[in-house]
Amino acid sequence: MDQPHNPLFPEWHAPAHWQAVDFISDVHLQAADLATFDVWRQFLQRPAAQRADALCILGDLFEVWVGDDVLQAAGPHSLQAEEDHRFWRDCAAALRTYSQHTPVFFMHGNRDFLLGAQALSLCGMQALVDPTVLVFLGQRWLLSHGDALCLDDTDYMQFRAMVRQTAWQRDFLARPLDERETTARELRQQSQARKAHTAGDPTLWADVDGPAARTWLERSGCTTLIHGHTHRPAHHDVGGGLQRVVLSDWDLNAQPPRAEVLRLDAKGLHREPLFC
Amino acid sequence: MANPQVELHIANFGVITLELDADKAPLSAANFLSYVNKGHYNNTVFHRVIPGFMVQGGGFEPGMNQKPSDAPIKNEANNGLKNEQYTVAMARTSDPHSATAQFFINVSNNGFLNHTAPSAQGWGYAVFGKVVSGADIVKKIEGVATGRKGFHDDVPKEDVVIEKAVAI
Repeated sequence: MDQPHNPLFPEWHAPAHWQAVDFISDVHLQAADLATFDVWRQFLQRPAAQRADALCILGDLFEVWVGDDVLQAAGPHSLQAEEDHRFWRDCAAALRTYSQHTPVFFMHGNRDFLLGAQALSLCGMQALVDPTVLVFLGQRWLLSHGDALCLDDTDYMQFRAMVRQTAWQRDFLARPLDERETTARELRQQSQARKAHTAGDPTLWADVDGPAARTWLERSGCTTLIHGHTHRPAHHDVGGGLQRVVLSDWDLNAQPPRAEVLRLDAKGLHREPLFC
Repeated sequence: MANPQVELHIANFGVITLELDADKAPLSAANFLSYVNKGHYNNTVFHRVIPGFMVQGGGFEPGMNQKPSDAPIKNEANNGLKNEQYTVAMARTSDPHSATAQFFINVSNNGFLNHTAPSAQGWGYAVFGKVVSGADIVKKIEGVATGRKGFHDDVPKEDVVIEKAVAI
């Protein structure tokens, strides 16, 4: 399986001794949702026998990320900001502790795409480009958050094109922290208002474009795309013997609650629900 | 022995006198006095003023150039002193033990800034003294017009300058 390396799809070669990789995404960690945080932290604190050789986070780990200075901002701050900053530090501490025994890989999502080098370091995580090919167990797995493939969501694709530019990010991050936090809050409110008619039903949101996913798989020489973002965990055939596997989001307040890790090992891909 | 006192002479406003609690906040009091005695606070500004919350200064010159500071000090927020109105406390980043020169004066009772637990999550902001004279000056500073200056928000539109800080 000597594929010519396509520079559009960077490759990540797993060390030979690895036997299992865990995938999570769309945890949407936030101070207002301690139920989800608690289950996520318990997952990180599982004993060694239950751990994989690496944890791979495919985006939207955080509900929002306005800049790495949320971890280091000079205080004191307003009550809400103090609570939020304390929460982000708790998240970073949990990840850092975990990373001391198991490597953690992080890919940006549409909510936490501003997470930078400083935060990665404080969290003990290594960055993955979106998309990336994981070469593991003699196979090639295409990894992505998934938002770049939701072509039907034209408003979002326009927004994404703007906010992924270096110049836009530099300008945004140069604004005072208070302002960025306020802007993010306002954007969330607008987004929720737009989605109100879907009543929070992910099946009414734009899905990943099948033919586009197939094109990515063909060009990267992979048979399986693993992604999140759509909050619609499933296994889809995209034609040509190619498939995409979608991660679940996490929401411990939902009925029924959702929290799931996807494990990849020699036996294949299996989903493990994480709550009792 | 009486607690040390420091006068902050604010240009166009007047004098604020702080009494430091060397008994309950020995490290913070000594640290503050060290900056006072070497003239660090002279020609710094109150760069962050939030009415109903606090006024913060001691780190930047007019023009928002940050003055260099010494090594950070241990957080003494577990000393029992509360962030009550007109107490003075050390400013810091989210790292609990990162306080250097910047300080703030609480203009309300800010209980949520108090220490709750000696853990990375529960450290609050260390109170090390209080305003014993010039609370009316603090109130005037609290009321100045503020706006955004580059990366900083809540910056007084007209500089509020500590001309000099002296131990008395």
